[in-house]
Amino acid sequence: MKALILVGGFGTRLRPLTLSVPKPLVDFANKPMILHQIEALKAIGVSEVVLAINYQPEVMLNFLKDFEAKLGIKITCSQETEPLGTAGPLALARDKLIDDSGEPFFVLNSDVISEYPLKEMIEFHKSHGGEASIMVTKVDEPSKYGVVVMEESTGQVERFVEKPKLFVGNKINAGIYLLNPSVLDRIELRPTSIEKEVFPKIAAQKQLYGMVLPGFWMDIGQPRDYITGLRLYLDSLRKKSPSKLSTGPHIVGNVLVDETSKIGEGCLIGPDVAIGPGCVVEAGVRLSRCTVMRGVRIKKHACISSSIIGWHSTVGQWARVENMTILGEDVHVCDEIYSNGGVVLPHKEIKSSILKPEIVM
Amino acid sequence: MGSSEERVVAVIMVGGPTKGTRFRPLSLNIPKPLFPLAGQPMVHHPISACKRIPNLAQIYLIGFYEEREFTLYVSSISNELRVPVRYLREDKPHGSAGGLYNFRDLILEDNPAHRRYGGIGTILVIKVSAESANQFGELVADPVTNELLHYTEKPETFVSDRINCGVYIFTPDIFNAIQGVSTQRKDRANLSRMSSFEALQLATRSLPSDFVRLDQDILSPLAGKKQLYTYETMDFWEQIKTPGMSLKCSGLYLAQFRFTSPHVLASGDGTKNASIIGDVFIHPSAKVHPTAKIGPNVSISANARIGPGVRLISCIILDDVEIKENAVVMHAIVGWKSSIGRWSRVQASEAVTVEDEVVVINSIVLPNKTLNISVQEEILL
Repeated sequence: MKALILVGGFGTRLRPLTLSVPKPLVDFANKPMILHQIEALKAIGVSEVVLAINYQPEVMLNFLKDFEAKLGIKITCSQETEPLGTAGPLALARDKLIDDSGEPFFVLNSDVISEYPLKEMIEFHKSHGGEASIMVTKVDEPSKYGVVVMEESTGQVERFVEKPKLFVGNKINAGIYLLNPSVLDRIELRPTSIEKEVFPKIAAQKQLYGMVLPGFWMDIGQPRDYITGLRLYLDSLRKKSPSKLSTGPHIVGNVLVDETSKIGEGCLIGPDVAIGPGCVVEAGVRLSRCTVMRGVRIKKHACISSSIIGWHSTVGQWARVENMTILGEDVHVCDEIYSNGGVVLPHKEIKSSILKPEIVM
Repeated sequence: MGSSEERVVAVIMVGGPTKGTRFRPLSLNIPKPLFPLAGQPMVHHPISACKRIPNLAQIYLIGFYEEREFTLYVSSISNELRVPVRYLREDKPHGSAGGLYNFRDLILEDNPAHRRYGGIGTILVIKVSAESANQFGELVADPVTNELLHYTEKPETFVSDRINCGVYIFTPDIFNAIQGVSTQRKDRANLSRMSSFEALQLATRSLPSDFVRLDQDILSPLAGKKQLYTYETMDFWEQIKTPGMSLKCSGLYLAQFRFTSPHVLASGDGTKNASIIGDVFIHPSAKVHPTAKIGPNVSISANARIGPGVRLISCIILDDVEIKENAVVMHAIVGWKSSIGRWSRVQASEAVTVEDEVVVINSIVLPNKTLNISVQEEILL
């Protein structure tokens, strides 16, 4: 089986993290975002992944070379020279996706994190016999999204309603599709939208079926949702493989700590914290609802909550970092500094407090 | 007056509760003069300065706070300094001169004298920036004789960058001057006729005859009459109107201790005692964990408990405060019996409980509050 991951653009919403690496390589729960998807695909027998990408393919491929061998999966890129929307990249990668087997292929949106119930999706696809399957997820505020209206018992999709003002349903497109190769015949090589142009036509012919995604789902394309997504991911990890989570008197709730990181005396870590490899968390530190990326040092008595600490940054003694503070790569917060929602670009030293959310260039 | 020893009586005007409103919420619990600066009640600093006056016979505190509020302090300081200190309560505000005059019999009991310049008094003066001078009493003195030539209280236009510090030395003749003003007032009340001089004083005409202010009513009219002289200080001088100023002044006194009594300042390098940076006062009964880092400009009052990994910078920690582990307190006054939770960060509060991991910034918190959410630039009632 094959799969296409829609990587897309510059990931500006996740800046300053995406100033250092392409968005799919930003770590989420101690692993580059895209690896969550590649591993899930590999696990159900996908042999080749095509990344639809429109910038820096060399960076991606260099990085993923190691994983190709390690996971035993072929990874290639299909580079757009102009943005082709959400459907155009499928036409562009047509030759890579079609082979003699005639098997359906997966299409995944790279911003989305979930439990990836891909095996169930294959079964669902086989059972309904239609041309395409789409994963849908229930949301609280459907008016913000494109709602998928479907027939309850069979899942047959009737129509799509973009940002409905009146309630038509609460299931939205979760950005995970399983498509027969014939779908590619419906897509022209031009900028085009899969949810606005391609799916409505398939739905009209009663060939599109929606499967309600079990478990959590989150688009982690921006910091606030990234932090919420980590909570959901760790909740799910607690159920599926609790042994991966840390335990001990200094741990509260779900905490994921890389084994190469060190945690000092008298710390209190959690809930919903991920600490990447090679980090040093000194004595008396408090961490909650945050991500600490590779090579970070958190000095004594610092307190961090609801924030993302980028690669190789340091947080000084008695510093306080909170309220959606995002530190880019190699940022140094000096001792006793307070950051309330500071968004700090890479390679900066923060010597005075940031009292209100603002961007530090 | 005939005493060869020239005995001196010191009077400290401490005001009263109606005047302390700008010092709220700290003055809700304690008379402002007893609020601790550098670990000592505010009034202790002028008292210990008076103690150095040769032939000091007596120190009076005059104000209209309840007598009982000062009883304990007055008796302990009398014992400590071996100088009789007494609190004299005014029945109502009489103005700074009126208050003095009210207790003239007691003050004169010890036959005090002062004859340096031959006038009736000397005013302590300091040079301030021209922009800030108009918040104070501005005055002009003769550069050679130091005679007070002109005095005007809080003028609208610039008069002088020399201001009245509110510290005076008087001979007993000051009481005659005060009586003069008081009599003039009575006469004015009795007679409808007004002289041109009195017409200028319309604003003060309606004041009661026993309400006499030193600045407007005594210094202004006596300027240029070879009665009053000035002495300019090069030392620090500040007016403590707001809680924020008390932090600065606490720092100034701590810095002074560095020269006058370094033994009262704390020291430590984080091994046996906490790390100390700059000038820090820690009351002997306070407990500070060795892993805490304190200073500069910190004063910690009695029975305070400072936990492991706590960081204190430029703050006043009052009696019975508990600061739990890894909390940070900066540029703040933490009121009596407050409790600051673990990993909290406080930048201004009083008599409150701050729960774990809460931030308080630029805020004034009234007593007996529990904060479980972070606050910024707020007044919490």
